[in-house]
Amino acid sequence: MENKYQYLTFLGLTFNVANCLSIILTALVVFFLVFFLSRKLTMRPGKRQNVLEYLIDFSNGIVKSIMPGDEGKPFYFYIFVLFLFLLVSNVLGLFLEIKVNGFTFTKSPTADPMVTMPLALMSLVLAHYYGAEKYGLKGYLGNFARPVGFMLPMNLIEEFTNFLTLSLRLYGNIFAGEVLIGLLVMMTQGAGLSGILGTVAAIPMMMIWQGFSVFIGAVQAYIFATLTCVYFSRKITRE
Amino acid sequence: MANGLIIAAKATQDGSLGDSLVLIIAFILLLILLKIFAWKPVVKMMDDRQKKISDDLDGAADSRAKAEEMAAKRQAELKNSKAEAIQIVNTAKENGEKRRDQIVSDAQTEAAHVKDKAHSDADQVRTEALNSARAQVGQIAIDIAESLIKKDLDATDQQTLIDAYIKGLTNADETK
Repeated sequence: MENKYQYLTFLGLTFNVANCLSIILTALVVFFLVFFLSRKLTMRPGKRQNVLEYLIDFSNGIVKSIMPGDEGKPFYFYIFVLFLFLLVSNVLGLFLEIKVNGFTFTKSPTADPMVTMPLALMSLVLAHYYGAEKYGLKGYLGNFARPVGFMLPMNLIEEFTNFLTLSLRLYGNIFAGEVLIGLLVMMTQGAGLSGILGTVAAIPMMMIWQGFSVFIGAVQAYIFATLTCVYFSRKITRE
Repeated sequence: MANGLIIAAKATQDGSLGDSLVLIIAFILLLILLKIFAWKPVVKMMDDRQKKISDDLDGAADSRAKAEEMAAKRQAELKNSKAEAIQIVNTAKENGEKRRDQIVSDAQTEAAHVKDKAHSDADQVRTEALNSARAQVGQIAIDIAESLIKKDLDATDQQTLIDAYIKGLTNADETK
């Protein structure tokens, strides 16, 4: 099984149709999920409102575990959306697989470094923005030379590695899950080792791996959100 | 396995810069829309609820304190009213006793008075009766004697005789 993608070129940029569709689908799923849950808000929460408030409390808890005080308040909303978006996009490829004429149209958008990198970039840019807002431009730049001056190159490299580790960790985990599912699907189709025997052995393995991938997807979304919080907190506090 | 590796090798080249752009736009749109349609109302509701709960708790503590104060007041009032009731009953008893004593003593004095009066009336009546009897008996005796003896007795002799007779009567009456 080989994934083939359709490409569009627009204004000199190339768009992978599968990625774009999945990203838009993910955003729609998240929006309508939350929109649906947030109807008919009352002082005494109904079932839907309870679910939504639980989700909000959970994502707020991620921020609070890093920044216990009021300084974490501006990030609650960003972390909430980021967590839900990553959760949905991480598991999207496990549930949904649309193929037309041999071209794949949906997959986990986060199984692509070109998608995880802008996510990480957004988080880090926000972190830098809040750092600059809190300390002013001078203080913000001065923070790179802390605790001592000769740490400056190390700190600059760290910013870059933060970006890479944050994006590539997510990409690697989700992508590995998808690759393994692809291999298992190939085995069930008898294209692998040993025909019927391979099929029989592959189906339970695939079920197990899909379940595990859901778990990995949730954990990676949590890790991404937590690390984003860590970067936020490091930018707005001085060691 | 070789096949899988080829997938991996190909997949790394699948993404393109356009996807990044789409992601950023989609994500920012998602942020804006969710903030307007879901986050603000939900968080407002949660904050409102938190405020209401803490207000309610404060109110409950207040009203509890008030209720306790009121109960203590009631208790004190109850105690006072008990004492008052006892006092009222005691006063009533005292008054009743006083009144009874007074009534009894009044009755006694009146009875004594009535008795005295009766005595004196009786005495007076008796003396009057005696006096009139004395006078009449004298006259009668004289008349009788006159008619019997047809003899003129000296009126004064007659009077002394009658007095002696009456005295004997009175003495006989008193010794009876």
